[in-house]
Amino acid sequence: MGDRRVPDTFFTTPPEWTWWIVFYFFIGGIAGGSFFIASLLYLFGRINDRPLVRLGYYVAFIGAVISGVLLVLDLHRPLRFWHMLIESNTGNPMFKSWTPMSVGSWGLLLFGLFAALAALSAAREEERVRWGPGFVVGSAFRTVVAIIGGVLGFFLAGYTGVLLSVTNRPVWADSPMLGALFLISAASTAAATLILLARRRYIGDEISLGKLAEFDKSALVLELVAIVAFLITLGAAARVFLSVWGALLVLGVIGAGIVLPLAMGMGWIKRWSSRPVMAATLVLVGGFLLRVVTLLSSEQVHIAGSRVITP
Amino acid sequence: MYPRNLEHSDCFVIMGSNMAECHPVAFRWPMKAKMNGAKLIHVDPRFTRTSANCDIHAPIRAGSDIAFLGGLINYVINSERWNTDPFFREYVVNYTNAATIVSDDFKDTEDLEGVFSGLVQYTEKPEWPYNAFVGSYQPASWQYKSARAQGQGEQVAPTARSGEQAQAQGPNAAQSPGAGQGAQAPAPLNWDSVVRSLKKPPAQRDPTLQNPRCSFQITKRHFARYTPEVVEQITGCPQAKFLQVAETLLQNSGRDRTSAFAYAVAWTQHTYGVQMISCCALLQLLLGNIGRPGGGIMALRGHAAIQGSTDVPTLYHSIHGYMSHPTTLKKHDTLRDFITTETPSGGYYANLPKFMVSYLKSFYGAAATPENNWGYDWHPKIIGDHSHMAMMAAMEEGKVKGMICVGQNPATSLNGSSQRAAMRKLEWMVVKDNWMTETATQWYSAPEIKNGDVKVGDINTEVFFFPSTQIAEYDGSFTNTQRMLQWHFKAADAPGDCKTDTWFYYHLGKRLKQAYANSSAARDQGWKNTVWDYDREPGTSTEISDEPDELKILKEIAGFQTADPTKHLSGFGELKDDGSTTCASWIYCGCYPAPDRNLTARRTPDPPGAPGAHLNWGWAWPANRRVMYNRASADPQGRPWSERKRWIWWDGSAPNAPNAQTGAPTPAGKWIGYDVPDFALTKAPNAQPRPDGIGLDAMSGLDAFIMKPDGKGWLYVPSGLVDGPLPTHYEPVESPVQNLLYPKQQTSPVYKHWAKAKNYNQVAKVGDPNYPHVITTYRLTEHYLAGAMSRWLPWLAELMPELFIEMGRALADEKGIRNLDWVKIKTPRSEIRAKALVTDRIGVMNIGGKRVHHVGMPWHWGWEGLSRGDVVNDLTSWVGDPNVSIHEGKAFLCNVEKD
Amino acid sequence: MAEAMGFFTDTTVCIGCKACEVACKSWNQLPAREGGQPELSGISYDNTVQLSGTTWRHVKFIEQFDSPYNGRWLMMSDVCKHCVQAGCIEVCPTGAIIRTEFDTVVIQSDVCNGCRACIAGCPFGVIDMNPVSGTAQKCTLCYDRMSVGLEPACSKACPTDSIQFGPIDELRQRAQRRLEQLQSQGETKAQLYGADPEGPVGGLNSFYLLVDEPEVYGLPSQPKLPSRNLASSAAGSVVGAAVLGAVGLVTLRKRRSEEVAESERGGPPRA
Repeated sequence: MGDRRVPDTFFTTPPEWTWWIVFYFFIGGIAGGSFFIASLLYLFGRINDRPLVRLGYYVAFIGAVISGVLLVLDLHRPLRFWHMLIESNTGNPMFKSWTPMSVGSWGLLLFGLFAALAALSAAREEERVRWGPGFVVGSAFRTVVAIIGGVLGFFLAGYTGVLLSVTNRPVWADSPMLGALFLISAASTAAATLILLARRRYIGDEISLGKLAEFDKSALVLELVAIVAFLITLGAAARVFLSVWGALLVLGVIGAGIVLPLAMGMGWIKRWSSRPVMAATLVLVGGFLLRVVTLLSSEQVHIAGSRVITP
Repeated sequence: MYPRNLEHSDCFVIMGSNMAECHPVAFRWPMKAKMNGAKLIHVDPRFTRTSANCDIHAPIRAGSDIAFLGGLINYVINSERWNTDPFFREYVVNYTNAATIVSDDFKDTEDLEGVFSGLVQYTEKPEWPYNAFVGSYQPASWQYKSARAQGQGEQVAPTARSGEQAQAQGPNAAQSPGAGQGAQAPAPLNWDSVVRSLKKPPAQRDPTLQNPRCSFQITKRHFARYTPEVVEQITGCPQAKFLQVAETLLQNSGRDRTSAFAYAVAWTQHTYGVQMISCCALLQLLLGNIGRPGGGIMALRGHAAIQGSTDVPTLYHSIHGYMSHPTTLKKHDTLRDFITTETPSGGYYANLPKFMVSYLKSFYGAAATPENNWGYDWHPKIIGDHSHMAMMAAMEEGKVKGMICVGQNPATSLNGSSQRAAMRKLEWMVVKDNWMTETATQWYSAPEIKNGDVKVGDINTEVFFFPSTQIAEYDGSFTNTQRMLQWHFKAADAPGDCKTDTWFYYHLGKRLKQAYANSSAARDQGWKNTVWDYDREPGTSTEISDEPDELKILKEIAGFQTADPTKHLSGFGELKDDGSTTCASWIYCGCYPAPDRNLTARRTPDPPGAPGAHLNWGWAWPANRRVMYNRASADPQGRPWSERKRWIWWDGSAPNAPNAQTGAPTPAGKWIGYDVPDFALTKAPNAQPRPDGIGLDAMSGLDAFIMKPDGKGWLYVPSGLVDGPLPTHYEPVESPVQNLLYPKQQTSPVYKHWAKAKNYNQVAKVGDPNYPHVITTYRLTEHYLAGAMSRWLPWLAELMPELFIEMGRALADEKGIRNLDWVKIKTPRSEIRAKALVTDRIGVMNIGGKRVHHVGMPWHWGWEGLSRGDVVNDLTSWVGDPNVSIHEGKAFLCNVEKD
Repeated sequence: MAEAMGFFTDTTVCIGCKACEVACKSWNQLPAREGGQPELSGISYDNTVQLSGTTWRHVKFIEQFDSPYNGRWLMMSDVCKHCVQAGCIEVCPTGAIIRTEFDTVVIQSDVCNGCRACIAGCPFGVIDMNPVSGTAQKCTLCYDRMSVGLEPACSKACPTDSIQFGPIDELRQRAQRRLEQLQSQGETKAQLYGADPEGPVGGLNSFYLLVDEPEVYGLPSQPKLPSRNLASSAAGSVVGAAVLGAVGLVTLRKRRSEEVAESERGGPPRA
């Protein structure tokens, strides 16, 4: 932090990945997280966890759809969104394994596909829909979907951080921790989302919800560790947080979004120990602010003349 | 000197110019010199983009240039190198007037506490009371001391002057043989005998330079008090910097090295601007830097045809080729009077009768005959100073009724609010421009109208606007700063109803001729007899209908045989004084030597690496010479001063063709080199003047300065300048300090102050506490002059979008001003607003113990266009140089406050 | 591939005239900022402020002064560096950014969909959006002019040859000679930036002669490719995923106690 040299990443231009992307990272994370939580519950949980599994698939599917929409809207030429997948001048598939955005586009597409299949299967199971091939309710199919979709869920939850790292922007490219951090945050926010929805709609039993809460707390602990590691690895680039963004990170993300719900879950705060909805909400707020802080703090660094301007 | 030649310089001093910013294209060549190891020096009140690229930046207070240059002169004359290296003595004794003895009557400023002998009061002439001198010199005592007759002046400079000052302005003022003969005799068909009758005995010389009355000794004494200490006190430039400049310049001048100077309007826009340039010429002559490759003085003129506009000319006191405009203020009553008043018997300008008669033939064609003195009586005469400010002062008093404004934006010009007030007195005004400039709109949108001081309804001017073409929309020629004509071709059609200036004037002239066609009044005979036919040949047309033929105009300027107009002239050597040649501008003669050879359209550079002057690129006047007075690039024996500085030299064995007329053999030997020799081509270095010779025949093989009557470069200037034979440090009219050099003489004793009694043109008193800061105005690369060619163009407007004032940190701190704050700037004339640009590129100076803040403002802005801002020229005043009537826009006083 | 072509920008002879900026906008028909009416920036004489999708040349003005008149004023015309290993090409997900036969880097405006990955991927802050086309844009090194044998508009307009165009190998030799000249004149901090093919990002096909540290000119001292972070960040994610997976397995798995409880209760799950 005391390094006087300006990091090389500061001599670059912000891509203006702002609110569409903040929401995409947040919602995409929840979608991916929901799927892998649902997958784990499906593969290793009880039969009574199934309602939560289905909820997770629904969330993943809706999240994937919203994610796609947000990403297309963020493009300055939205009608050319398909250029991400097909080479517009040759018609060949467009895929660059070393480019997170390219891999991510395919990843989101495939995830959306599996989320759709999973959601369809869940809907068939609940008899919400009656169409579609019969095999989607088969257990082999479900297992395959759960495994592949779960892996894709992990991917979707984590690649966004890698995408930010594979740039030359301040903060993003200054730490290798962002992928892990976003992944873990995706898990905590997805768990919180599922808790909130389940409680609101009376889905799942107390055991399921208890396991989710347990999972969420563990994720929060991991997230705290990841944030600390993130800040340490930033080195000189951490100067960006000597600003309102730093305050938001400490108070909003860490304080309100991690420590407080953790304390509530652990029962350290007696008055609030039995308010899981509030804890989950805080986790969601914290997870959202994490995206806000990491994206927008970096966005504010730019060059004017020959000088670097930081927030 | 011309820009490309700067690549041969070893040291280049830019002073009175911001060359990199205002002449960026020409600045290519100093940068080439820099690559070759040359030292670049910038002497300027501001650290500009020019300074940024120079090795040395010496800051001086605006307007103190003569003190700095005088310091250099004093340093050089007393330096060991100058006194021990024989080169300097050889150059100065042979090529300058250092040895010439000056009249015993002459008294220097050192004798008279700041003024020269001959100072008298000036009284305005009632018919034109706008000459505006605060004083006047009778220059009789400044002349050379003649070898035989004492007190009688020798020949005088042929420079064009309006004659507003003393009667002794013409070279032969005292005597005019043949003048006042009553009834006018027909013009002779050969004026040689008239010119010969003007011959006077040569001036006395002392080649040892020991005579205390020789030019050199007078110069030496004159500058003796310009010591480094005094330079520091007056200019604010630290002594160490000054000495660094002096030593660098001296070490890079000599037999094997040359140094050049460049100046621009930051030398001309002073009440002693001509003297600044003169001072530089003096220094460069002493250093042997004139007429040599990489030497000289580069007069940086505007892009792209300011040079052309004065050549052709738009100067009120010149006709074509810098011949004096016939005037009522000198003995110009008849053609003979004009010739005898204006013609020196020695030097190339002794050919003036040929230039003048050919000019009159171009004007009046077949109507011009010897019997009517080639129509001289039809030619208009001026009656005083008709320069910009004089005309505006007259306009303000209702004396000027109408104005055609082309290529100018006077609403944003000097003391702008006064010019706008003057224009509101007009009966009619025509503005022809690319845009609705401030001048076109001032009657409804000037600041004084917006704020309600003036009501539109009270203005009785009828205003016409003519949309104008831009330069790439028609064929024509530029004459650039190196006197080079370059033909340019139309690249695009003009939009809408836009017309060229040639179209406008051609058809205006046609209509005026029509209007006077039936007049029998004597005053209208000139109009009736004026040749005015530039119609295109049938079958040739342009997109602009009735566009005149540009080549016909060029042909008339460049000259042809009167008897056969298809025979163009190949040079001014062919001009005759018997009416057989027609040529408007003798200096342009030869640029269009045949109907199918327009030399100005040439675009052939020299091959890479070959030494040369690119003589096949365009055409430079005179005679396609690139370096003037280049005889001085060879030593007195005609050999190059050194191999490195080879340019023009004498080849004694070169055979010559026999005399074309007599068939007599011409002795071998001629001047050759990389350039066109600026000398009689076959005159040997050891040639002696012919006793009865006139013109070049009156000159020796050493008289390199062929336009000077005595063939010498002038250290001491015996005539031609109205404010003294030697440059002297005076303070600007508005100055924060007393003149430290001559406490009894604060300013030039003869500067011009128009409308002195009027409220709108008051000046701050010396050291005025209400106006404590020195301000200078200037241009930026991004904009052009008053902005008509840049402020309307988005790509340029965005680069410098708003007006600003540059000020030092110390002043900003004192006034609590931060970068980009709005600031009020006030002078006795006006107050304007601008944003602050706080910088260390300008700052506080120590002037004789007084702490003086220096600020600066670019003056491109007005209230129209994309990029708008207050009119900086509203701050300036109508005071100016006595020789050329240029205003003092580069140094005045102001106050600055946070808005 | 034809010979690698590029720019050598000798900042020591830049006079800050901005002719390059205007020539670039003129040739490429790029709009002025804010209709030609931006506010005064207050950053020395730099009102361009930064490269953008509509400003492909930017002359920087750096005032280095200790006290009034005592210092220097550096100028530098900045442009796309046409990196030999280009970060923008690396991250572009649509293949819009290509390497041409002149070894220059060009964004195909008809392919780009405006995702802006290249903006974030460029180590020099060169690329930005052109609001008119809705695509990322930058200097093309006048690919259209080069294709017909003309030199780029900016170098053509540069009056002092601060911007020199030519084959890279030749430019490198020229730059080396100029560097040695400056160093012999005592300009100790003179350095070439991006001239070394062994250096960062494989060298720059638009390289510079500077007289101070790169940071002074707003340039990164060690420009890097965005992909440098791919392995580490991906590995971090995989580790994170593994840990999370393990945590998930531990917390979400079916436990013996739960099985007991469930069999005791025996009821179907709530739906």
